[in-house]
Amino acid sequence: MSTVLINGIGSALGAQVARQLSAHDGVTVLGLARCEPSAPVGCAEWLVAHLSGLQLIELLRAEHVDTLIHLDFAGADAPAEGREAAVQQNVLGTMEVLGACIAAGVSHVVVRSHVGIYGANPKNPIMLSESRPAARGGLSGLLRDLAEVEHFLAEFTVRHPEISVAILRFAPIVGGWSPLLEYFAQPSPRTLIGFDPSMQLLHIDDAANAIVLAALSPCAGAFNLAADDAVCISQAIRLSGQQPVPTIEALIGLSASMGDRTKLRPWPFDISFLRHSCVVDTRRAKDVLGWSPTHSAVDSIHSARKNGRAIDDPATSEAAMRAFLSRKG
Amino acid sequence: MSESIEIEVGGQSADLTAPPAEVAAPKPQRTSRAKQAAEPTLEVEATAKRRARKPRAAARVEDVDVRVVQPRAAAPTEDADVRAAGKAAPKVPPAAAYWDVHPGDSLHEVELEVRNNASQQQGQAAVMGNVAAGLIALIGENMRRMTEEQVGKVRELLSGTDLSDYLDSSFWQGVGMVLQYQVQEQVDFVKRRLRGEYHVDPYGMDYEMIEVVRPFMAFMYRTWWRITSHGLEHVPAEGRAMLVSNHSGVLPWDGAMITTAVSADHPVRPDRVVRSLHLHWFSTLPFVAPALAATGQVPGLPENAVRLLENDELVCVFPEGLKGVGKLYKDRYKLARFGRGGFVQAALRARAPIIPVAVVGAEEIYPMLYNAESFAKLMGFPYFPLTPFFPWLGLLGTIPLPTRWSITFCPPISTEEYGPRAADDPLTVLSLAERVRDTIQATIDTRLAERTSIF
Repeated sequence: MSTVLINGIGSALGAQVARQLSAHDGVTVLGLARCEPSAPVGCAEWLVAHLSGLQLIELLRAEHVDTLIHLDFAGADAPAEGREAAVQQNVLGTMEVLGACIAAGVSHVVVRSHVGIYGANPKNPIMLSESRPAARGGLSGLLRDLAEVEHFLAEFTVRHPEISVAILRFAPIVGGWSPLLEYFAQPSPRTLIGFDPSMQLLHIDDAANAIVLAALSPCAGAFNLAADDAVCISQAIRLSGQQPVPTIEALIGLSASMGDRTKLRPWPFDISFLRHSCVVDTRRAKDVLGWSPTHSAVDSIHSARKNGRAIDDPATSEAAMRAFLSRKG
Repeated sequence: MSESIEIEVGGQSADLTAPPAEVAAPKPQRTSRAKQAAEPTLEVEATAKRRARKPRAAARVEDVDVRVVQPRAAAPTEDADVRAAGKAAPKVPPAAAYWDVHPGDSLHEVELEVRNNASQQQGQAAVMGNVAAGLIALIGENMRRMTEEQVGKVRELLSGTDLSDYLDSSFWQGVGMVLQYQVQEQVDFVKRRLRGEYHVDPYGMDYEMIEVVRPFMAFMYRTWWRITSHGLEHVPAEGRAMLVSNHSGVLPWDGAMITTAVSADHPVRPDRVVRSLHLHWFSTLPFVAPALAATGQVPGLPENAVRLLENDELVCVFPEGLKGVGKLYKDRYKLARFGRGGFVQAALRARAPIIPVAVVGAEEIYPMLYNAESFAKLMGFPYFPLTPFFPWLGLLGTIPLPTRWSITFCPPISTEEYGPRAADDPLTVLSLAERVRDTIQATIDTRLAERTSIF
């Protein structure tokens, strides 16, 4: 019998984790969200609140929570509102949550992170392993916050051996809202001329599976999670149905600061990720967690592209109707 | 022109058949062609291309029945004799029958046969034969880039046609259909690329792009540098191995040529790409970085080397690094320091055999007289070469000199007997590195002694 609290159940990823966890026997699922969940959450009980550290300790103690899943990062599942508030939520919010976990005797914490924290650097090997430390510079926005959180966690886990912290470093997640997908799907996304690094993606189903596996097993340390295949950035744009427009670096920066924000979606990460690849090795997650990706990067782009579009393929419509008619038989 | 090339072909093949140690032999002679005949798989493509350019004596054979394929044994001249022997098969069965193994190769044999027949005919028949052979060669080239499914489609289109019987109208019909199909497939290929429907590995290697640049690399290999490869049988057709080569020639052409040697001249013709490790500085150069990645080259970091070897890849390293490529002309063929033995550590960690490779000829392609270091530093380059042609002639100066090369693959040095801890033992690592270096230097010295001219 265990009680799991999902901090950030409001996002598509959080809701999916809640649904999958409620299918397990002997797991009580609780949720904490800053806004109403956008998707069904199974039999999880949740509250919408923004709790301070002390309130969080009280909640964790009262509900006897023994595992906490921390997914609540600004800019990851919804557009961030202001840089200062994002840092407050991402860095200080995570520190508060971990402090509360120590005080309330939570034994296991799963924290979400991003493969981008390694940075994109020609001196980084391809197929980065988890032993590589997070980059100390050259990152901005959400990645910078996450790198700071990783540095904090590296120190924190040494000081507090009584709590096991699993850090899941996800490749950019496909499914739900993501700045990367908006960038891919806009007309003529701008790329850096003369460079076309490979990148990895991760389908939201595989991300949710990994969180569930990490929450239910007493694992600790960092895990890289990505689909087995890689795509070039220009290839990902083409798979999304657009053609890349190679531009010089100055113009990409210009487009990020000026221009019509409602129409133009700039590259969501640092420019260095348009120049050098950041590809990780997922062997540890496969060996320790028993996780394996079910969607390839190419498939997930395809499914994201189809999402929300009317079906114009007669064969698909026919198959759907047959499946519907045979539902009783 | 044609005459001199013909001699080179003979010499090249003779070297290929002889084990590397014996190649101290004198200049290749014309008689060595018999050896060439004994090795039909080697050099097939190159000889075909050269022969295509050879002016042909039209009236060689008297009257031939236009419908019947002339038996080759009747060919009177020495030239035709060699070609017949080179094909090995006494009587070629209908083309479609033996396509299942290597469509490109068997088509190539048909092409040779057609060409041979044409040379024995007169007037229009000879011209038609040459055109037919050219078309078959084109089909074969295209088929190298096709998928199994597409090859099956071509085979189906050609199933009723006897390709060696080019005077039959059904031949032209069949070839026409195939060419139309292949042109359509080429257009589809470009469209598919634009839709992003291709595959890259995590290192960015794009197999389709390798196929696209392969003909150019083969041209540089066969025609520009007339490269002779020795000891390719030491390169395993599958499983991990580390090629360790000397590095030279300002631009890393030697790595590309080692790759081409394995893909074009290996006796087994394994479908494997040599993953060369390059200086990570190249990854910061626009256009160069994606081109290197697409052709399967990887930044030279120890982690990458170990990882690739663990995936059972064929990895090629240049331990001299910049000290090698940026070597001055006066220092040619003197191996620089082999780093700190990092490549040996990687091979020991992955328990991969080390194959020393000696490249001779690459040192002279850009004779670097002076390294303008201060300018290089200003621009952020690792070196800035001043050669007799660069930068004075601008882009023309970047055309490499057409020296004659030889690439020697030495017998592999096994790392199996060293334990897993050996990689952390500096003495073992450094002595192995020294052994590899001495092997390469000795092989280079042997090859240099044999060489009579750099061209």
